[in-house]
Amino acid sequence: MKLLGQLTRHLLLALGGVYMLAPIVLMLASAFTPTADILAGNYLARPTLDNFVEVARTVPLGTYYLNSVLVALATFALQLVVCVPAAYAMARLRYRGRTITVWLLGLLILIPFQVLAIPIYLIFRQVGLINTLPALILPFVGSAFAIFLLRQFFLALPGSMFDAATLDGAGTVATLLQIVIPASRPALLSLGVFTVTSAWNAYFWPSFVLSDDSAATIPFGVVRFINSDAVTAYGPQMAMATLSVLPLLLAFLFAQRQFIRGLALTGQAG
Amino acid sequence: MSTLRSRLTPHLLLAPATICLVVFVAAPLVIVLVLAFFNLNLVTGTSSFVGLANFTTEIPHPEFARALRNTLLYAVFTIGPSMVGGLLVALLIHGLRRGQGFWRSLYFLPVATTLVAMSAVWRWMFRADTGVVDTVLGPLLGIHDWLSDPNLALAAITVVGNWHQIGLVAILYLAALGTLPQDQYDSAALDGAGGWNRFWHVTWPALGPTTIFVFIMTAGSALQAYDVIAAMTQGGPLGSTETLTFAIWNRGVHYFDIGRAAVLSLALLVLSVAVTAIQRTGYARRLESGGTR
Repeated sequence: MKLLGQLTRHLLLALGGVYMLAPIVLMLASAFTPTADILAGNYLARPTLDNFVEVARTVPLGTYYLNSVLVALATFALQLVVCVPAAYAMARLRYRGRTITVWLLGLLILIPFQVLAIPIYLIFRQVGLINTLPALILPFVGSAFAIFLLRQFFLALPGSMFDAATLDGAGTVATLLQIVIPASRPALLSLGVFTVTSAWNAYFWPSFVLSDDSAATIPFGVVRFINSDAVTAYGPQMAMATLSVLPLLLAFLFAQRQFIRGLALTGQAG
Repeated sequence: MSTLRSRLTPHLLLAPATICLVVFVAAPLVIVLVLAFFNLNLVTGTSSFVGLANFTTEIPHPEFARALRNTLLYAVFTIGPSMVGGLLVALLIHGLRRGQGFWRSLYFLPVATTLVAMSAVWRWMFRADTGVVDTVLGPLLGIHDWLSDPNLALAAITVVGNWHQIGLVAILYLAALGTLPQDQYDSAALDGAGGWNRFWHVTWPALGPTTIFVFIMTAGSALQAYDVIAAMTQGGPLGSTETLTFAIWNRGVHYFDIGRAAVLSLALLVLSVAVTAIQRTGYARRLESGGTR
């Protein structure tokens, strides 16, 4: 009876699993199958890399990857430089108006970026940032959510840690670099996963500020590719989608726990 | 000197973040409000104050009602199924004696993918007649060519929206299930409470805070739905999948009608604030406190 229950659970989960896996499996299988075979339903009958060659021939794949990596890493690096000091001040230092700043931060988190896209788009048009990498990075550097998250974490760190540093006569920068950052590695790692994957997957904002390939990231390239190519060339389309998805899937399979913890932040980001 | 420095330190630490938040959040918020009252011509660079004209053009317009309706429908058909599906998956996995990690990873896989790229895959799967959906589900459901049918295209979009977030909902519920106190189950079992009773009287109230959190999250992503629509339908056919967020792009970037795009942005802001306000209402507050009914 117990065994039957367990078996039923596995069976039901497998049923739902088909829904979860079907698009990923079909994409991977099609990416390595000639388009003619895909249309005939003979997936992987004659495995080939031709689809990827075709993609590399028609789009500036190197530029896409380089841009995606640069945007993801620069966003996170700048976010650290800007948000860690602010979160530290709001968690650990005393200054006039601290309550108000914390309250304002809570208010800013509630505003979805989509509401602000039109004005930021106009500003960037005005200063000539359309089709540049900074346009993809700058709006996300000062993240109210990141500051909020880090502040929560800094608040939970033991106060004695900071007292010791103060007694040692450590300056603010030294305290940040030698105590706060090493002690916050789990929080920084989660934020890193969250920020890097958000930047890597982003399509909403790129579709505002990008119109050509010069600063294009992979998701933008994918949409451009599937909308431009002949409708029947499914092989290359699936290869292009694979190129966008695969790096994250691999990263997820190798660091599941960190990934799940980082992406679970999605709900809090407003 | 040193006291001056220590008094300045917090402000120096806050300065970069403050500048960023003013330039990219506070100022744009004010600008979007102002833009809603102006007619801005991006080609000539001229602008004129038009009072409430943008509001009186946009809000009674059938396209606005349609965008609201699509957004609401998308919300209803992603929030409900994702929450129920995610909770179900979590409960199934939680009761497993082996294989928990495997199923958790499998269901989380879609969350770790690039949504816009996977939407391109889904678009191909939903392709008329030759796509997987039509060849496999077509004979069963008796419907086909979802994406060209104004009555079915939004349904196809929600299939993808749910696909992408069920795993995330499941993970959040799983985490909550892992922290439930065992003694309440023991006493419920002593009282002879069956499976459903135990769920309804012990598990569901204890999951309250997570349920609220998941609702806010799924409602937020429903309001911000964009990637799936951009890659699969471009708002079509006949505007049947144009949601509020997609309409902002369409009016603002595609048609350069900044004034009306600003009005749509404000509508999105109002709805987003309304969703968070739900958190403060009766049933939500009771769930949040994890209390009894």
